[in-house]
Amino acid sequence: MPDSLESRPLSALPLEELLACHECDLLMRRPSLGEEQKACCPRCGYELVVHRAHMVRRSLALVITALLLYVPANFLPIMRLTLLGQTTHDTVWSGVVGLYETGMRTVAALVLLCSMVIPLLKLLCQLVVLLCIRHGVARRTGILFYRVYHRLREWGMLEVYLMGILVAIVKLIDMAELHVGVGLACFIGLLLAQVWLEVTMSSHQVWDALEGDADACA
Amino acid sequence: MRALDAGILVCGECHQLNRQGEGGSPQQCSRCGSRLHPRRPDSIVRTWALLLTATILYIPANVLPIMTVNYLGKGSPSTILGGVLDLMQAGMVPVALVVFVASILVPTFKLIGLSMLLYSIQRHQRLSARQRIVMYRFIEWIGRWSMLDIFVIAILVAVVSFGNLANVSANAGAAAFASVVVITMIAAVTFDPRLIWDNTDMENEHA
Repeated sequence: MPDSLESRPLSALPLEELLACHECDLLMRRPSLGEEQKACCPRCGYELVVHRAHMVRRSLALVITALLLYVPANFLPIMRLTLLGQTTHDTVWSGVVGLYETGMRTVAALVLLCSMVIPLLKLLCQLVVLLCIRHGVARRTGILFYRVYHRLREWGMLEVYLMGILVAIVKLIDMAELHVGVGLACFIGLLLAQVWLEVTMSSHQVWDALEGDADACA
Repeated sequence: MRALDAGILVCGECHQLNRQGEGGSPQQCSRCGSRLHPRRPDSIVRTWALLLTATILYIPANVLPIMTVNYLGKGSPSTILGGVLDLMQAGMVPVALVVFVASILVPTFKLIGLSMLLYSIQRHQRLSARQRIVMYRFIEWIGRWSMLDIFVIAILVAVVSFGNLANVSANAGAAAFASVVVITMIAAVTFDPRLIWDNTDMENEHA
């Protein structure tokens, strides 16, 4: 970079030209990124910004896919177990009910939150935010929902639940006759759509889009 | 240069930069409206308190049985470690390893790791900042995987419900274990990783 650009101290530059690392508070110039490029913090390596092509369109498609899969993934049987002629089946919902009935109410509530309620709320928040950006309406609502989404983010645990299903299958396979159900396929589909969505929906692009709209209509 | 030194506050939620106002009055982010703090408030004290709570709950979580499997009239309560050993004896070594890592290694590592991070900040120890940030990120990322055992119990309770022939019920250890996981996850959120770097900057200036 030429010396003339470096002559002004960073603190004197306008905020739009600056970027601070969220994890180590290092202040730096805002890099200009092309599509599908990302910038990482030079000091701690944290991913600062990433620019995804067609972010809104691709994210909307993924959000709708995930929402369509949500009901079958949670209410269709994940597995069926047959022991001496009796058959039982398991869904995400019946796991919550089962825990509740054995008296573990707080644990049941936690499983309900982490495996059903929060993943659904996250998807709905993302849907609202994307619709706000796409149609350029209700920026305040969009900002509010995106803040809620960030608060909920790490409390949705679909991938951990999938690992739990695998461990349960291994534990049960010697004990009784076991068949996996169509719910498992839907659950994996939901998980994949959600993970892909989190990669696609670049948060700095979303914030910029929400802010841009607010400025235009303020 | 730290953003704080330039009089700039980074919004904790949307990462927008804001100029620090005059005086000590609370500020709100110009973009998303959330409260601005130079660092997360009372980060060290709150994280210590949560860690202490989690450490106390860690004992019943490991000592008490987490679930009881009744199979053909024989009931056997099992603890977390017991579940891992059962899997090992059944020859399911890879799965036993996954459960061991998620239920025993990760919670222990989180308690020790976060304590080490807090201690190193308070004592201004010369640990490499980069190593510590890697450790913090790992702790933050892996914490949720400890919920694995809780989900396994939920699935087993639902699917193994053959009345007196075979059934699974959850026990008090599961509640204690779930609390440990949730509290350590909150502890990872209240901890402010920027403190690690504040520390190293000060050391560089004194050197």
